[in-house]
Amino acid sequence: MPQFFSNKRLILLLVGVIFLVALISFSLRDRDNVSLPEQIIKDVVGFGQSIFSKPTHYITGVFDNVDSLLNTYEENKRLKGRLEEFAKLQADVHDLSSENTRLREIVGKEDDLRNYEPIQATVIARNPDQWEKKLILDKGQVHGIEKNMAIITAQGLIGKVILTTPFTSTIELLSSQNPNYRVSAMVMGEKEIFGLIEGYDDERKELILKRIDSNIEIEVGQKIETSGLGGVFPKGLLIGEITEVSTDDFGLTKMAYIKPAADFTLLDHVMITKRAMTTVGGSEEDSTATDDAQGDEDGS
Amino acid sequence: MMLRLIVPAIAVVLFYLEPVFGLFSPLDIGGEYRYLIPRFLIMYLIFISIYYNRNRAMAYGLLFGVLYDVFFLDIIGLYSFLYPLICLIASFIVKYIHQHLIITTVISLVLVTGLEFVLYQFFLFIGLTDISLQVFISERLIPTMLANSIFLVVLGWAFKYVINARLLQRLNQPN
Repeated sequence: MPQFFSNKRLILLLVGVIFLVALISFSLRDRDNVSLPEQIIKDVVGFGQSIFSKPTHYITGVFDNVDSLLNTYEENKRLKGRLEEFAKLQADVHDLSSENTRLREIVGKEDDLRNYEPIQATVIARNPDQWEKKLILDKGQVHGIEKNMAIITAQGLIGKVILTTPFTSTIELLSSQNPNYRVSAMVMGEKEIFGLIEGYDDERKELILKRIDSNIEIEVGQKIETSGLGGVFPKGLLIGEITEVSTDDFGLTKMAYIKPAADFTLLDHVMITKRAMTTVGGSEEDSTATDDAQGDEDGS
Repeated sequence: MMLRLIVPAIAVVLFYLEPVFGLFSPLDIGGEYRYLIPRFLIMYLIFISIYYNRNRAMAYGLLFGVLYDVFFLDIIGLYSFLYPLICLIASFIVKYIHQHLIITTVISLVLVTGLEFVLYQFFLFIGLTDISLQVFISERLIPTMLANSIFLVVLGWAFKYVINARLLQRLNQPN
């Protein structure tokens, strides 16, 4: 039997392993920005990737269209039933929004946490190994994308930007297991009740809303939206609906399971929300950073 | 000249095709998610390693591993270590057994299963996932291996054909 490893090879292998462990631990740290070589690789690979994925989106789009054509009759019947309801709703919304503008003018407050500028983007790749729930979009810094911006689809919030390069951006989905991934949310009801989306239950396929005051009553079926208080996300992006309420591990606060409004599978076109009002601190997940920023403002 | 480029060109195409197939995963079948993870590139590299040239396969493995790490994972050193390692193991195994296409296919699939297990252990270790082994096998491993074995059964002979053609050409003009 030949010797697999001569001494030279063994040393080379060991040095390689040490180097790799060092690299892995370096890249696992929370990094604020990507290094230049990484940016170049991401942009170049991203360019090639979009050449491959755009035709794919076109083809799946054709299939989707055929699929929806087949359902047209059913759907039309159902929609007609809802049309009347819709007209009334539209009148209500129009009434309320004009009243809102008028009241705003009286108070003299123009900015609103709800206002945002949507930027259309196409998903060019989804991390094929799916351990980390990441997507790559075809818009980057030159299009005005910044870290921590919220990503939505027509149905609701799906995630946020975690890395940007000049021409691509990486987003992490809400279904991520990353313990540092938090979104400041509120329960819609008579009063606004605040909590934090922390974690995702892989088996139930539901998000977990934590840190709700135990004196406050919340019910199954209530809607959850972003609160806009984290500093970067706009207010009022739909996240989901409560399916179960329980107390947390220590019995001090309540937690709720939330069924996400948006579907995390088969994502192709998404919107990046650029908040109109100034962003604070720059970190949705790290409340200390925003505190520091506010502290600075107070001091100056 | 064309043939010279075609071996790396296939690797590049497979590298770009993986995330395109990834866009369709997870499949939502009756409320259960099924993850089909495309491993086309590494299976092709195993073929190169067995039929063509081990060092060439390891070099490609390192290159595409780095691209994969930087573009998708942001954990540098994971795939760039595992891809060459798998090519190395494949070439060791094949020294002792016959290089028949069916055997190569089986070896590739066994090695990909090994890769999935190592990755599962790694992500479990760094805390990015907390699924149990049972869920891992039913949600990820079985669908992944089914999809990849279909791919390899359909295209394995083509890989072998292209690589052999290149090998013959190389033997005919030694330079």
